[in-house]
Amino acid sequence: MLPAKRRILIIDDNLGLAENIAEILEMHGYLTEVAVSAEEALSKVGPPPPDVVVTDYRLPGINGASLVRHLGGMGMQVNAIVMSAFTDEGTIEDAKSAGATFLPKPLDFAALGRLVQA
Amino acid sequence: MQNLTFFQNVKAYVGFNDDASAALREAHPLVAPHFAAIIDDFYDTIEAHPGARAAITGGAAQIQRLKRSLLQWIDETFRGPHDEAYFQRRARIGRVHVQINLPQMYMLTAMDRIRVQSVDVLRVAPALDPATARRMITALHQLLDIELAIMFETYRDDLLAKNRTAERLATIGQFAAGIGHELRNPLGVVESSAFLVSRRLEQLHVGDPSISRHLEKIVAEVQRASTTINDLLELARSKPLKRRPIEAGEFIAQAVSAANLPVAVDVQVSAPPGTILDIDPDQLSRVLTNLLINASQAMGGAGHVWIEARREGTRSVLLVRDDGPGIPAALRGRIFEALFTTKAKGIGLGLALCRRIAEAHSGTVSLDPSERGAAFRITIPDAAPAGAA
Repeated sequence: MLPAKRRILIIDDNLGLAENIAEILEMHGYLTEVAVSAEEALSKVGPPPPDVVVTDYRLPGINGASLVRHLGGMGMQVNAIVMSAFTDEGTIEDAKSAGATFLPKPLDFAALGRLVQA
Repeated sequence: MQNLTFFQNVKAYVGFNDDASAALREAHPLVAPHFAAIIDDFYDTIEAHPGARAAITGGAAQIQRLKRSLLQWIDETFRGPHDEAYFQRRARIGRVHVQINLPQMYMLTAMDRIRVQSVDVLRVAPALDPATARRMITALHQLLDIELAIMFETYRDDLLAKNRTAERLATIGQFAAGIGHELRNPLGVVESSAFLVSRRLEQLHVGDPSISRHLEKIVAEVQRASTTINDLLELARSKPLKRRPIEAGEFIAQAVSAANLPVAVDVQVSAPPGTILDIDPDQLSRVLTNLLINASQAMGGAGHVWIEARREGTRSVLLVRDDGPGIPAALRGRIFEALFTTKAKGIGLGLALCRRIAEAHSGTVSLDPSERGAAFRITIPDAAPAGAA
């Protein structure tokens, strides 16, 4: 069992996918919240900030890596995971340089489970 | 064009008949004592020319091997028999020249070395009357020109096939990136929804076999669609090569495991310890995995596959052979083209991807002649040393 319920914010412009990710993480005992854009996510981050942010890279408007940088700029030290179906080096590098862990799509939910625990 | 018609055509055109074939057989004992000198001259000339030399990447050891092959080639040239099988063999040799990227000009100039030297021998052969010498020399010219015609024809065929593939890949590439990514998200939703449904059923203690079977089908088909999308996306972009030395046995074991073959497919591996491959293991394992999956599918999920790894000079060679039905002769030239497939399921990307990855390594993947089953050969030259031209 997890010691406490951690909060995870999930951002994907495909709401169906964001909801499914949320539901799977909830089964693992997390509290989740869903947003379909970085802008919407910024309006939902708190304070207090979520423990983990799981975001798609390609979003309408601000992209996932920029969102993570934004959160850092707001002084929020969150565990960030950037996912994308675009697995080119530019995307992966951008995610990593923002301080996030990159996770390719289609998602390996077991890997996601390990990452949000970290 | 059917090869048969092609050979008959060129033979008739230059007038190479049974008499000409007999004249060459008569000339054999006269020229044979000079074969070694002709062959040495042949390779000395290649080594003296950087453009021709570039096609030889295996150094002195390779030249020794090539000299033995050339000896057999010249011997057969004079000895015959100049039958259909002979020309089929010659066409295969022509194809090798295409695969190693030997520029066509060197086919002509190298053939000229053999021609000039052989004709010189016959011209001054003692106790040979001028009419007989002329007959022999004419037959030799005819046959060597047929040889060139075969090489050029094979070269052209292979080049056209390569261009067709390149065009198709470019077209696929434009669509693939956009469509592939668009499809991944909905597939991700379907897959995760199927997972959530199955979990929900577990919670509700619903153990309905029909529902379970349908959920399994959904997951399996989504995975198949994802594989196709991944293949498309890999074709659409060329990843930079990340070579590193890797033990052949370890590399093969990983690729075999990734192929996830049915248990009834028996895989025999021959990779002597210390066989080190200079390859991008991630990319090349796709090639091996694809060949293994093809073999398994061709054999209906049961049979034998033999994988052999070895070093040939500065090249790594991987051989993949199966005891399935093999590849029909009529299709052998086309199987590496993108969108060409013999499978009921499949869109013909696997072997095109294999060729593309091999070529990214400056190597080749080709079909070996085989009595039974299909036999593929992957040849990967080592990376040129840093600083080499």
